[in-house]
Amino acid sequence: MSDGPAAPARPAIQFAPEDDVPIRYMERTRAYYQALGFSPYRWAHFTDAPFTPLAVPLARARVALITTAAPFQPEAGDQGPRAPYNAAAKFYQVYSAKVDSKPDLRISHVGYDRANTVPEDLDAYFPLTRLQEAVAAGRIGGLTPRFHGAPTNRSHRVTMETDAPELLRRCREDGADAVVLVPS
Amino acid sequence: MGCARDIVEHCGVPRFVWSDFPLGNSAGRPFDAESQARTLELALRLLESAPAARTTVASPLRWTADPDWKRKYLDVGKLTPEDIAERRKEFDVVKAVAKAKREGA
Repeated sequence: MSDGPAAPARPAIQFAPEDDVPIRYMERTRAYYQALGFSPYRWAHFTDAPFTPLAVPLARARVALITTAAPFQPEAGDQGPRAPYNAAAKFYQVYSAKVDSKPDLRISHVGYDRANTVPEDLDAYFPLTRLQEAVAAGRIGGLTPRFHGAPTNRSHRVTMETDAPELLRRCREDGADAVVLVPS
Repeated sequence: MGCARDIVEHCGVPRFVWSDFPLGNSAGRPFDAESQARTLELALRLLESAPAARTTVASPLRWTADPDWKRKYLDVGKLTPEDIAERRKEFDVVKAVAKAKREGA
């Protein structure tokens, strides 16, 4: 005698909670600083974004890495994974370091989500190790000899007129075919 | 590679791998090399095959099964007037430090 028809398989995709959506960071940040008595920040917003197809196969491409993480500065106070926001650790000029230098980079100067994460693993915000593995596996042709640090300056003008052109200059100097930008 | 979908898309970038993770984890989950490798691979595929500017790929990785962590970030509704005054004072100090650093740079 048969056991009857098999129960239908549970669907892999189900309804999600209604508020399980991308966090509206601009809205929450605006509300927070308005509650503190500050006028709202104007987020960068443009009519278009540039686009250039990759000119060489990725397996022959040289890739540059740009981060907003800061090199550890011994004189700048607590920059540990549980440090409160540390404005003294900010940097205001583009920096560069060799990709084989095993850098000590921190994000205490960044408004990351301190309620939900502790940045104890550099690889979670600075993917140099994973990029080096991708090179070793032949996925990428190579990395540029340096990675670069982008200042987290709230001035649109300084970012566009000073920092971004300097980053571009250094990437071209290093022969980059593509850039991976990883803000924290 | 980033975690703030609205900020990055509001600006507009050529290609974007969005991880629905707390800010600070743009390259994958901490101490989870596989999640980091998968996140990077999405970025590399975008480099190879995005058809146009503003292409976003949403990483399929979840931070936790429970999305409760999303409710907590900068939740101003839970702050008392005393909390707000205290944070205003702290932020004034932060601004002064940042200004001194910027002007000395």
